[in-house]
Amino acid sequence: MSFLTATDITVRDGAQTLLEPLSLTVTPGEPLIILGETGSGKSLMAQAIMGTLPAGLRAQGEVRIGAHTLSASEPRRFRGLWGREISVLPQEPWLSLDPLMRAGTQVTEAHRLVRGLSAADAKARASSDLGQLGLTAAARHYPHQLSGGMAQRVAIAAARAGGAGIVIADEPTKGLDAARRDDVADLLLSEMGDNGGLLVITHDLALARRMGGQMIVLRQGKVVETGATETVMSAAREAYTRALLAADPESWTRRAPSRRDGPPVVDVHGLSVARGGRELFSGVGFDVAAGGVFGITGPSGCGKSTLGDAVLGLVAPAAGTVTRRADIGPHGFQKLYQDPVAAFPRKRRLGETLNDVARMTGESARVAPLLEQLGLSPTLLERRPGAVSGGELQRLSILRALLRRPALIFADEPTSRLDPITQARVIGMLGEIAMTEGTAILLVSHDAALVRNTADAVLPLGKTVLPEPQPDAASVATAPH
Amino acid sequence: MSTAELYTQPARLPVARSLGASLVILVAAVALIGPLLIPGDPLAQSLLKALSGPEATAPLGYDHLGRSVFHRLCAALMLSPLIALAAVLTAGAAGLILGTLSAAMGGWVDTVLTTLADALLALPGLLLVLIVLAMVPGTATGFWIGLSLVLWVEFYRLTRAATREVLVSPSVEAARLLGFRAPYIFRTHVWPEIAPLMLTTAAFGIATAIMAIAALGFVHVGMRAPTPELGLMMVELLPYWREAPLALLSPAIATFALLLGLTLLAGSRET
Amino acid sequence: MKALTSRLVQAVVVAVLIGTATFVMMRSLPGDAAWRIAAGRYGYDNVDAAAAEAVRSELGLDGPALPALLQWLGDLLTLDFGTSLVSGQPVMHEIAHQLGASAALAGIALLLSVLIGPPLGILAGLRPGGVLDRCLLVVSTGLKAVPQFLLALILIVLLAVQLRLLPAAGHGEARHFILPSLTLALGLAAVNARIARDAMARIADMPFWRFAEWKGLSRREVLMRHGLRNVSVPLLTYLGLQFVTLVEGVVVIEAIFGWPGIGHALVHAIFSRDVPMVQGTALVLGLGFVLVNTCIDLIVRRIDPRGETEARA
Repeated sequence: MSFLTATDITVRDGAQTLLEPLSLTVTPGEPLIILGETGSGKSLMAQAIMGTLPAGLRAQGEVRIGAHTLSASEPRRFRGLWGREISVLPQEPWLSLDPLMRAGTQVTEAHRLVRGLSAADAKARASSDLGQLGLTAAARHYPHQLSGGMAQRVAIAAARAGGAGIVIADEPTKGLDAARRDDVADLLLSEMGDNGGLLVITHDLALARRMGGQMIVLRQGKVVETGATETVMSAAREAYTRALLAADPESWTRRAPSRRDGPPVVDVHGLSVARGGRELFSGVGFDVAAGGVFGITGPSGCGKSTLGDAVLGLVAPAAGTVTRRADIGPHGFQKLYQDPVAAFPRKRRLGETLNDVARMTGESARVAPLLEQLGLSPTLLERRPGAVSGGELQRLSILRALLRRPALIFADEPTSRLDPITQARVIGMLGEIAMTEGTAILLVSHDAALVRNTADAVLPLGKTVLPEPQPDAASVATAPH
Repeated sequence: MSTAELYTQPARLPVARSLGASLVILVAAVALIGPLLIPGDPLAQSLLKALSGPEATAPLGYDHLGRSVFHRLCAALMLSPLIALAAVLTAGAAGLILGTLSAAMGGWVDTVLTTLADALLALPGLLLVLIVLAMVPGTATGFWIGLSLVLWVEFYRLTRAATREVLVSPSVEAARLLGFRAPYIFRTHVWPEIAPLMLTTAAFGIATAIMAIAALGFVHVGMRAPTPELGLMMVELLPYWREAPLALLSPAIATFALLLGLTLLAGSRET
Repeated sequence: MKALTSRLVQAVVVAVLIGTATFVMMRSLPGDAAWRIAAGRYGYDNVDAAAAEAVRSELGLDGPALPALLQWLGDLLTLDFGTSLVSGQPVMHEIAHQLGASAALAGIALLLSVLIGPPLGILAGLRPGGVLDRCLLVVSTGLKAVPQFLLALILIVLLAVQLRLLPAAGHGEARHFILPSLTLALGLAAVNARIARDAMARIADMPFWRFAEWKGLSRREVLMRHGLRNVSVPLLTYLGLQFVTLVEGVVVIEAIFGWPGIGHALVHAIFSRDVPMVQGTALVLGLGFVLVNTCIDLIVRRIDPRGETEARA
């Protein structure tokens, strides 16, 4: 028995094929995971079977939802099924709730208008739905008063209110940290129950592992591999799937610790930083050795990026000291940003920007060898930041920073917007640079596995009690108190 | 309207912009070259020819005092656009400098300038222009000063908002870390972002200024007769609409063409 | 609260700006200002050197500028606007008289513009790039390029002179409202239609719009429940700012149609250098802007609980 079957779905943009024929079946009680990187066509596939492709894209194929048989080439006919047969969990739940309407009302209206309950019944159903999700108090709140996790649960209640049996979740863990990610996975599974259908589109390997069920791996619009999630993830047949799995920071081999000699590049002692009257952290102390990788990790909002900024002197500490090694010049500390596009002047060719830096530092001769070392094509220099991929741009940021011959590079979530394989490559390069150039790397990431497998020493930062830093660290970190 | 609430949308077709530019160039060409090809005096009267139709030396006929409408129109098309241009250049320079200063320095400089700009926003521009006109001898000077006082606010607010946004962006932080100084940051980061806004605002500003001069002329409180000015010409010719429709239509059409050209050139930004 | 404080500051700065400007205007009056002010107070027949001298010392017209300015601003802040130099009537009385006529004209024009512009804009914004959107773009661009006096002229020539459907000037009857208010409304609608269109297009592109559709709501339900409320926030804010445009329009339109309102009075007052009247009228208009926008701030805050909206002037 199955209630969502899609047969030979294709998506075209004019003459170009974006998604090659793909068929899938969702069976009750078993999630189906579509796994792929950016540009793999996984979201297009979801949009094609929902009838929500952007204008200009053409889909073909047959979609059977419950008792309905539809053609993907006629997206208008899907509209009547939304909410009643299939419901969609949006990528960004916070942005998907009407900012000017109370959370409870956004659930109630679906009960009333879609399911056709009376106003009083709809209200009662909405509050019992929200109550089951532990959101009784949130019903009166506006979306901006909800946390990300609460918004996600309100969105789930609102999406399910119409009574649809099939749920499509598009990147449900985008922008969430590890703990929250597991909550979402468990919630999706319990919502599905034994009789519901669940289709999950994601690039998140940890989410896929937790969901189980069946899996389809996509790459550049083609199916690479299908099978039970557990089988695919433990014994992948295709090389691409294996590369994708190997790129998961959880499965990285740990980087060999760097040699530690000479005085530290920077020595942080008793550091406290406050933002908007709230203390982010206090009493933090550590030092970073030349050529070493020092990692800071923690959940979002714990102040780990601010700590890096304080080390660079971009944020004034409330207390404590940051001491640079005496011989380091004013420009000896450089930074890599989470969004590399925002780190370059938007309207200037990358080559011009790099030349400006090279002329100022007198390092023009290094540009070409560094391009080669970082695996970058010189033709990229003709382009503007918006026209280069995130991975290439992040490597160009590294190149730009190296033209200053920095003593330390603060890498602030440098790969959180990159696909797993690209992420592994960029992080690998940072490790190499620490080794070959003797530059210290201060690596900040929400991904504990990534930091654990890359850094010589790790400082876990959190709002509550912080665990002791690893005792075997080559560099010594003192626990904040 | 507030710059933070810019209703950005895909830039209107460049076709519209180039159409706008061609309209402006066309009007300017007529005003500049016209009197060279057909010499004539915009002030010379010959009452015998009052309200008579076009002829070779007066292609648009004569007005109620027997003056060549064509030559009055060409003179009018030189007058208010030049005042408008002068006012926009003054206001643009002031707004650019003060806006950059406000964004870069913050603190009390920013507070004082922003409070002043906010207060000026509450005053109808025409009112300010009228008050200045009443104080300053010389109507053209009065318009220049008055319009500059009105127009700088928009330049200031745009510059300040855009500059603030750029200055807190990672790209500027990175540039500072690398050791670049303020002039480089302004040239490569700030200016490329605000230049298109400046152009748009300037085109709107010129249109606003031309409209203001013509509107006040039309209600007899702007330029005084016998100065050839667009609004004044129209109000003078209105009573003779039946006898000499062309005489009234030509300044009306020229004004519309010029303003439409400037609006199209400015692109789609609502203020 | 913070918004209210800044509105209060705005009101005070507006008053001081107007006070200073009119003070400079008075000082630069040709001839003997004291004599003219005294004449305004007591009538031309009753002015003598002593009365003029009294005014001169009271206003410090001969003294150093700064104390005189402070005295002038002090009078202003106690709402003592003095008497009109032309009519001899108290300024407050004159303004109260004219404000009604202007407010009626402006109110009808605003209502008309809101009935024309935003509905069209919202429909256009629901289908960006559609036929209606393109037509609206052409019409509103064209209308924006027509100055209000020119629009008035076109309407007068067409409807009053050629077709003799409506009176070109006059005041008192309902039909006298049609031409001036239509002139004002078309200009306003050209712009607020674009504002509504852009806001609608932006909102229809937001994730919450799509999510409302995915929940299963019909197009109409999505528009009524999630569209209009969200469009109203930028639209209201914009209408508040449009107050200035409306006042400018009123000044010109009243002069053209001979409408006995505050704009008409202002033009006359400036023309005849009636400084107390200029000051009083300008102040009413400037503070009117602040008041209107304060009300809009409060309304917007009720609709949009997210706190300070970014659009504020």
